[in-house]
Amino acid sequence: MSILKSLIYLLIYPGLLFLFVYSTFCEWFDRKLYARLQNRVGPAYTGRAGILQPVADFFKLLFKEDIIPERADRVIFSSLPVVGLAIVLTAGLYLPLWNIDVSIPSYNSFQGDIIVVLYLLSLPTLIFFLAGWHSTNFFSTLGGVRVLTMLFGYEVPLFLAILSPAIVADSWRLAEIADFYQKCPFLLLFQLTGFFVAVIALQAKLERTPFDIPHAETEIVGGTFTEYSGKKLAFFRLMTDIEMVVGSGLIATVFMAGFPGNAFVSFVNFIIKTLIVISILSLIRAACSRIRIDQMVNFSWKWLTPLAVMQLFISILVKGVFWRILQ
Amino acid sequence: MKLKPAAFIPELLRHIFKKPATVRYPFEKLKVPDDFRGTPVLKPELCIVCRSCVRDCPAFAIEITTLSEEEKKYKMTIHNDRCIHCAQCVESCPTKALFMDTEFEIATDSRLKLKAEYIYSRQKKTDQKSQQT
Amino acid sequence: MKKITIPIGPQHPALKEPISLRMTIEGEVIKDADIRLGYNHRGIEKLAESKTYIQNIYLMERICGICSHSHTTCYVQAVEALCGLEVPKRGLYIRTLVSELERIHSHLLWLGVAAHEAGFDSLFMYTWRDREVVMDLLEIISGNRVHYAINTIGGVRRDISEQQKEKILEGIEFLRKRTEYYTNLGTTEPTFVARISGVGKLPKEKAIELCAVGPTLRASDVASDIRKDDPYAVYDEIPFDVCTADTCDVLGRVVVRVKELIESYKIVEFVIKNLPAGEIKIKAPRKVPEGETVSRYEAPRGENIHYVKSNGTDKPERLKVRAPTLANYPATIEMLKNGFVADIPLIFAAIDPCICCAERVVELIDVKSGRSDIMTFSEIKRKYFCEKKRETL
Repeated sequence: MSILKSLIYLLIYPGLLFLFVYSTFCEWFDRKLYARLQNRVGPAYTGRAGILQPVADFFKLLFKEDIIPERADRVIFSSLPVVGLAIVLTAGLYLPLWNIDVSIPSYNSFQGDIIVVLYLLSLPTLIFFLAGWHSTNFFSTLGGVRVLTMLFGYEVPLFLAILSPAIVADSWRLAEIADFYQKCPFLLLFQLTGFFVAVIALQAKLERTPFDIPHAETEIVGGTFTEYSGKKLAFFRLMTDIEMVVGSGLIATVFMAGFPGNAFVSFVNFIIKTLIVISILSLIRAACSRIRIDQMVNFSWKWLTPLAVMQLFISILVKGVFWRILQ
Repeated sequence: MKLKPAAFIPELLRHIFKKPATVRYPFEKLKVPDDFRGTPVLKPELCIVCRSCVRDCPAFAIEITTLSEEEKKYKMTIHNDRCIHCAQCVESCPTKALFMDTEFEIATDSRLKLKAEYIYSRQKKTDQKSQQT
Repeated sequence: MKKITIPIGPQHPALKEPISLRMTIEGEVIKDADIRLGYNHRGIEKLAESKTYIQNIYLMERICGICSHSHTTCYVQAVEALCGLEVPKRGLYIRTLVSELERIHSHLLWLGVAAHEAGFDSLFMYTWRDREVVMDLLEIISGNRVHYAINTIGGVRRDISEQQKEKILEGIEFLRKRTEYYTNLGTTEPTFVARISGVGKLPKEKAIELCAVGPTLRASDVASDIRKDDPYAVYDEIPFDVCTADTCDVLGRVVVRVKELIESYKIVEFVIKNLPAGEIKIKAPRKVPEGETVSRYEAPRGENIHYVKSNGTDKPERLKVRAPTLANYPATIEMLKNGFVADIPLIFAAIDPCICCAERVVELIDVKSGRSDIMTFSEIKRKYFCEKKRETL
């Protein structure tokens, strides 16, 4: 029975199938909202209100011609999309979504899984860099270098911001953090700064405007993805979508008290909370212009990191002073 | 100039629940103005075969051939595949025998289908045929 | 750091038309730039020699899709000067009206393109949505959105009715509000300003030295505008200001264009309110007397020059077009130097390049010897096509 349950957990919910379906839905939601913010229609024809458009795009790309550059390393070039997809899918399994007992640690929920998720979410950046580097195209290489440069900008504030709620909750386990905030949700008010820092850092991690520097279309063509086509590009796009779902799921877990309730209620919770995060991401994407790489690094060290450090101090204060009074 | 972060957000949010500006073209169509320059159309009964349209057309899209000299029978071919819709022919015509219609969806899969032929005679009494191939 | 040369174009997402920019870069900094033209040469000047003056109006219109009215007006003015025609006032006013509406359309389009190059797609969508208003106005006046074909030798082809006047005033009122909003937004949104301020510096002396024209020159604080310096049509009767900016960068070019939009709204309103009654055109002779002339016109992108030489027949002997983009190329190279790779599309877009306008000549350069040659077409065929064939065999 437990094997069957684990299989369902891995393959259907919240594993492969659910993440695939939900990430395409999220892409549609993002595109539609982005379009409406710009007074456009957005995807309109495939399925009801274009809801199947991302799926159609995915399958269309699967059947397109797949080209590997002559000078590229065939093995690495072809394996990167698959590895990347596997990494973000794995990260998705650690979200405390279903079948989690807070009192008993299991293979998908243990002390320190927050670090594992953060680590797994950092790997796609490396995958993008390698993809750009191994394409041997000038634009790809430049894109790959920009990916790494940006990594040094957003990773530190993201880690600091995500870990500060964990300090208050006194746990490195996502399920326990969520459980803690479900019990005293007013403590989340102290994490507002961290929430916004994390959302902006996530925007940078997902390489969306204003941080779409590594694949800035008008500057360096497709950036890291210039040489990718067909199946591999489809996998990369799916990977970015799933990364968006997992990233917003992570933020929802630590900053929005997770997903309480039984299987169905937690599912609804998950959908609503991730869509809120994705809406904010879309709004940021619509409201900004792309910035330059040096401005990005400046911005994250001048503003994001100090804010994240401030959040850390607030968390420590909350934990040290207020918590004792409340007890 | 003072910088205002997120200056665009109110405008963006204002538009979420507004009707999109996009016209869903194949299903809805905008109306073109009445004097839109569509394709040139000939009223054969008015043509006096002065050939000034042929002379002035910048794209050489109008062709008049004589079918029979004694019956005064002529054929005007308007090559709409060459036409650049400038309406100079309409302007040059001394008898206002040419006019522009308001048709704008003129795409077809073959340029031969865009040819409009008018066979007519200068006398008014003989039968007039106007056919499009 | 090692210097590498990267090709931007002839095919690149930032360029809507083929042109090759070769950048020598060190890291992300541009050290040198080189522009290669000739990918879009259409032989229009040669074609014009085999067409009558009337037919050439429509050919000139097709030099450019955005400043189509500029090229016809410039050409028509030259031919009118050769014939010694006195164009009726009403005709000139309508001509001015269309040229200002075209300037509005062109500047709004440019604002959208610049926003897109900077990755600010929302502004791009909004400006292009509002541009539809002016496009519709032009369609109402002339019967087409892009190629207005309103000019003819000796005047204009269509009159304006009272109903159309009202619609134009309504549209202008709406556009004025929107433009004021964009002015405010474009100069205060931090990410956008960060991208455009201080980018693509062109000092005043350099701009004059390199013969920049139009908004590029005016953004370097040189108040030069053909409409004021050498008034054509009825610009000497219309009150308006020449807009300049002193920042000498892309931000300045945005500001100049936005200010010009506001000026254009004023001009359009003035023209509508002071439209004199009378004829709109006079009859022009088919054959133009012998002579030569140069006509200047302030197109949205800068000074447009047409040179017409006639030989007494109904076809011109020679027709030379100098589009504003061509004059701005040397300045572009100066702007690109010491910039970032990320700024290439913005700097290049800031001159509002219209490549097919500027492509007037193809120079054949032998790659091996670097020698340039004049060749007849049969020579080219013999030399290159036949060689190719032999190679494949």
